[in-house]
Amino acid sequence: MRRFGLRRGRGGEKREHFVGKDFYSMAEAVPGKKYKIVKIDGGCRLNSRLCAMGFIPGEGFYVSGASLGGPLCIMIKGTKFAIGRGMAERIHVKEA
Amino acid sequence: MANMEITVALSGNPNSGKTTIFNNLTGLRQHVGNYPGVTVEKKTGMVDYKGYRINIVDLPGIYSITAYSLEEIVTRNFIINEKPNAVIDVVDSSNLERNLYLATQLIELEVPLILAFNMTDIVKKSGKKIDVELLSELLGVSIVEMVGSRGLGSKELLEAVISVVKSKKEKKVELKYGEEVENEISRIISVLKEQKALTYNFDTRWIAVKLLEQDREIIDIIKKTSGPKYSKIDEIVRSSINHITSILRDPPEVIIADARYGFIKGALLEAYKETGSEKLDRSEKIDRILTNRILGIPIFAIIIWLMFQFVFSLGKYPASWLELGFEKLSILVTNVVPQGLLRSLLVDGIISGVGGVITFTPNIMLLFFAIAVLEDSGYMARAAFVMDRVMHKIGLHGKSFIPLVIGFGCTVPAYMGSRILENRKDRLVTMHINTFMSCGARLPVYILFAGAFFPAAAGNVIFSIYFIGIIVAVIMAKILRATRFKGESDPFVMELPAYRIPTLKGIMIHTWERAWMYIKKAGTIILAITILMWILFTFPMIGNNYSQSYTGKIKEIEQSYQYGEITDPEHRREITAVEAEMAGERLAYSAAGRIGRFLEPVFKPLGFDWKMVVATISGVAAKEVIVSTMSTLYSIQGTGEESDSLKVALNEHYTPLVGYNFMLFTLLYFPCMAAMVMFRKEAGTKEMLFQIGYTLLLAWVVSFLVFQIGGIFIK
Repeated sequence: MRRFGLRRGRGGEKREHFVGKDFYSMAEAVPGKKYKIVKIDGGCRLNSRLCAMGFIPGEGFYVSGASLGGPLCIMIKGTKFAIGRGMAERIHVKEA
Repeated sequence: MANMEITVALSGNPNSGKTTIFNNLTGLRQHVGNYPGVTVEKKTGMVDYKGYRINIVDLPGIYSITAYSLEEIVTRNFIINEKPNAVIDVVDSSNLERNLYLATQLIELEVPLILAFNMTDIVKKSGKKIDVELLSELLGVSIVEMVGSRGLGSKELLEAVISVVKSKKEKKVELKYGEEVENEISRIISVLKEQKALTYNFDTRWIAVKLLEQDREIIDIIKKTSGPKYSKIDEIVRSSINHITSILRDPPEVIIADARYGFIKGALLEAYKETGSEKLDRSEKIDRILTNRILGIPIFAIIIWLMFQFVFSLGKYPASWLELGFEKLSILVTNVVPQGLLRSLLVDGIISGVGGVITFTPNIMLLFFAIAVLEDSGYMARAAFVMDRVMHKIGLHGKSFIPLVIGFGCTVPAYMGSRILENRKDRLVTMHINTFMSCGARLPVYILFAGAFFPAAAGNVIFSIYFIGIIVAVIMAKILRATRFKGESDPFVMELPAYRIPTLKGIMIHTWERAWMYIKKAGTIILAITILMWILFTFPMIGNNYSQSYTGKIKEIEQSYQYGEITDPEHRREITAVEAEMAGERLAYSAAGRIGRFLEPVFKPLGFDWKMVVATISGVAAKEVIVSTMSTLYSIQGTGEESDSLKVALNEHYTPLVGYNFMLFTLLYFPCMAAMVMFRKEAGTKEMLFQIGYTLLLAWVVSFLVFQIGGIFIK
């Protein structure tokens, strides 16, 4: 329920939920801050795939853009990736 | 001196400039084919260097050689089974850490490896410094510095290839994955040895690592080779995985990947100097505009519109020159070859059929030129990003958008391009709706019919057909997603490469490749079909079985002209009318006419006559053949400009509603035979039959509704 409400919410209010929270998903990351990947919650195929692209626990990244409700732009290991919200939700991150 | 032949595989990450280097090495000595059994494109090229004939195989661009996608499996199988003499891994030097990941996996495979450090100019410009010699030592492989876009380093690369091939050095560096993982690897190795489950092709340690990573393909191979003993192996592997996961808190595939990155980082720490701070680079600035949440889609729409203008407005000039050329050729042949079957075959069959198809080569070339520019500049990936949300709404993937755009050029490469979608369902839905993206071969049909029936608004009419195609595609995607292809679409991750100015050479090669494919199609399948059509239209010959004495009629007309009863234009018009009638009877008598008449009742409710039916059938061979069939059907000998006279003939025989309906039908039923062959290769016979069946049904139903409902309003 809460998640659903969040995703509908617009920018500002969405972020307030996470004040003081340590870990959240990449989908909830906002531009202008630096983050670190904590854990990837995928199957072994997805894990291998993401690792090969540089999405690996401990790696820092930042959000460089997002289309409205669509994929996010993530800058990681010097490469920019477009990543779908569904996938981003499976990557746990924390602020670096 | 006989050349010594060696094979070199060219691998690398997507966007590492691999294709540019391939082009630099081989020039135009390239051959495009497919890997056996799959539709992953296989490009090979050749270069002679210092007494060696080097065959270079351009492997697909990949991030790793796990079994995630078809491309990765193809690459791995090629390297393992074909055992190339050397493997070149093209690395984007401005992004070493991620690019070297693939290199670590190639090192694990223990292939004779050369790293081609591409784009070293960008590294130098940004004030960074790579100690190539040291790095080469740390990684245990040769490294060659290159600037592919300026053609620098090719010679050095070939030199390195030859020295690697000559030296046949033994194993240099072994990657270690940390104590816990290493313990488990030894455990798996011993069980593998114990069970004798090894295949001669693979290294045991490598197999053990792959089993820990739960690589599906390797698991299948081990299952096959070990038979009933697999359960024992599986048991050990599972306990190892659980052990690692419980102690290190991440599954083995992540731990192993981490170790590979650790190995890279360790090497880079010593051999790579990063000076200067990270600044907002040019790509980032461009992206702020092009992928802006508000501006992104309008900019995309403008770019696609510009591409269309470029392809079609500019393309019509060379197209008209070609048309003129073929006209002159047919006049020449008419003058040289005596009247009879041979002349008829050459002029009415081959020149008008194949010529009509070749005429569209400029459009095809411009289209692929435009696509290559979009792709090489890096915009295509942004387009997929911008479109992802919209595509998601209709149950597709952002990447689906790319094959769909290519579909406007030709459905055959579009089907091939659908491979970028890893998920089978995404891929199949994209392929099943791709046919509604009006391909270049359908354009001549539209140009002919729109020009004949709506000369003042031809552009708008053609646009409406394209637009209807898109709408139908959206509706069908939704329907297919809700019925045959239920389920989540694949998670979306895609690299947005740095913007680059495309190299002219790369674009020209790409354009030429596609154009050549098209011309080859014209010279082979379309030539064969044209001859077949000509036979169908010519035999059985009518002989003296005309319904009335036309020769008598013509004599009468000649006489009245000689007596001055009718004027010259009148005389000519009447003769033409009689000849057309004769042609009509000849065709009705021929095999094609008979088939058309036989099927006519099925198409009557759509307003089609048997000639349209015959044309539609010929369109199965290739849609552009519809035009040549129509021109054969209405052949009016030797008067005026061919297509114009055809337009007049069409206008005389059909109402605009039927003309429009015919365009709709042409839009909706499945594309050509060649595309279907590709479809079958990609998705299997069942899916191909489904494609044929449902598009035919859809085309019939839509045309039926349009004709019946339209008939109420338009009389």
